[in-house]
Amino acid sequence: MLVMKNINKIFQTADIQTHALRDFCLQVNEGDFVSVTGPSGSGKTTFLNIAGLLETYTDGEFLLDGEDVGTLNDNGRSRMRNQKIGFIFQGFNLIPDLNLYDNVDVPLRYRGFNAKERKRRIEENLERVGLASRMKHLPSQLSGGQQQRVAIARALATDPRFLLADEPTGNLDSEMAKGVLTLLEEINQQGTTIIMVTHDAELAQRAKRTIQVKDGRVSELEIVSPQMNQAIA
Amino acid sequence: MLETGLILRALARNKIGALLIALQIALTMTIMVNAIFMIQDRQHQMQRDSGLDEANTFYLTNTVFGQDYNIQAHLQTDLHMIRNTPGVIDAIQINAVPLSSSGWSMALQHEPGEDKDAVGSAIYMVDEHAINSMGLELIAGINFTQEDIELRKDGQSTWPAKTIITKAFAENLYPDDWQSAVGKTVYISQTQPMQIIGIVKALQAPWNGWNGVERSMLVPFHRESKGSYYFIRTEEGRRDALMPIIEKALAESDKERIIRRVTTVEDTRKRSYRQHNATNKILTTVVITLTLITGFGIVGLAIFSINRRTKQIGTRRALGATKRQIMSYFMMENFIISAIGNVIGCIGAVGLNMWLVSTFNLSPISFELIAFGVVALFIVGQLAVLYPARKAAMIAPATATRTI
Repeated sequence: MLVMKNINKIFQTADIQTHALRDFCLQVNEGDFVSVTGPSGSGKTTFLNIAGLLETYTDGEFLLDGEDVGTLNDNGRSRMRNQKIGFIFQGFNLIPDLNLYDNVDVPLRYRGFNAKERKRRIEENLERVGLASRMKHLPSQLSGGQQQRVAIARALATDPRFLLADEPTGNLDSEMAKGVLTLLEEINQQGTTIIMVTHDAELAQRAKRTIQVKDGRVSELEIVSPQMNQAIA
Repeated sequence: MLETGLILRALARNKIGALLIALQIALTMTIMVNAIFMIQDRQHQMQRDSGLDEANTFYLTNTVFGQDYNIQAHLQTDLHMIRNTPGVIDAIQINAVPLSSSGWSMALQHEPGEDKDAVGSAIYMVDEHAINSMGLELIAGINFTQEDIELRKDGQSTWPAKTIITKAFAENLYPDDWQSAVGKTVYISQTQPMQIIGIVKALQAPWNGWNGVERSMLVPFHRESKGSYYFIRTEEGRRDALMPIIEKALAESDKERIIRRVTTVEDTRKRSYRQHNATNKILTTVVITLTLITGFGIVGLAIFSINRRTKQIGTRRALGATKRQIMSYFMMENFIISAIGNVIGCIGAVGLNMWLVSTFNLSPISFELIAFGVVALFIVGQLAVLYPARKAAMIAPATATRTI
């Protein structure tokens, strides 16, 4: 479970203070598929970065899978990212010099799995996204949709509790986008919690819950968790 | 977990930059190891024992211009005067000075006749005071006596019947047992017999670059020549004070000759090895410059590589890499590049050394020196990549979600 209470994030430069998140509150339960929408600059990427432990927050309380994220040091956050969170990026973020097999291998090495276990997970997850036959190919030899599938395989290889997707279909045409979204729905049905940031309203509708972020706050919840306070209108 | 396999495969697909640095390391290794080898060789040459009591000896030239000049009489008078000067231990007339670059050489052979194997040697014409005057150490046999000393006129081609040789020369003539040289008869000028009566520990030839520089022989001659050296040994600490005193005394005692070039043996050594010192300084500069260029090259490539892979590094961090793992990645990458460079460099270093050995008659390079070169360049590489690797480790994981 992911719980954020009154999270604030302030970016401070020499002259300017930017309040990216203001008293941000959200609860995501196990098995949820939450889409996060909002206009550019609303704070949705900042939310995703904080939720994915890619960035620290200024104040507030953030519990991930029962662990207080605020108490973790950099190594602790790295460990938690590796063990509990899978990322899917808009630009796929595959390593261009490595083939598909090695790309999926990267987080598994950080996890410290032995070679046999890594091989099993790589093959299983590439099979899961339908690219087992192309594991020796380089990312540049694949279409955008296939690259995003590899990124999903990489994200799933560590068996994460949460899958965070940042505009996962943003660089894909509509056919490829549908395919990726269908895959995400299947993954969610198999029990993985998904939080997806998107500006595509149609895509957002496919999630079980949709929240809208505006000016750094949750401005609208279509489905509100009963444990959470009312979002600020 | 180390990403060696991934790094190797990534380097294989993106090899130009890494290969250039590996070649730079190889070139540095090749030149550095051979330059250090040459520096060491020169240092070794400069540290060789001349056999002389260098700190307390000096020499001067005595050039006679007077007509009907009685050289023998004046020689005896001069030597008597110098030897009796307070502070002087002993003095001799000599035809050449070790390490002075100017001297005489002859060859000795075991059997008389033409076309026999002969071993070359520097030759010093001295009297029975030579061992004491030069500070030599007689380690076998006996010294000359006054009766052994013969008069040698300019152009004379006959040689005395006795000689004292250096240990190195004895080892060359009698490799199985150098001490057995004492009492043996050898032949000079192909046919003239000469008995070895003594062996001194060391006495270098006048030419430091000659590969037989340790081979010298003393022959009991007083030269009746208008130009000769007087070689003088003083008590410890009195050399510098006695040099002008003796120069003045000799000059004033006889107006039909010129006393010149009053020089210490220490100065002669310095002058003799001036080129060695200069070459070593140049080679040291080359080694340092090349090493720095290689180090900066590694820094440059690493920074370029990191700037090019900022998003990739952010992604790795997002996927769970710790700062230490990011640093290790770049350190390992550099280690692999250095290893490739060092392997090529080792081959290059040995190849260049083989050429140097065959061309300049140097000794082969040692394994230890190559090992030193490998270790040194690994250290340079790792130090050079340290800052860029730290910079990479500081890239925020949030970079992964940014559009760069």
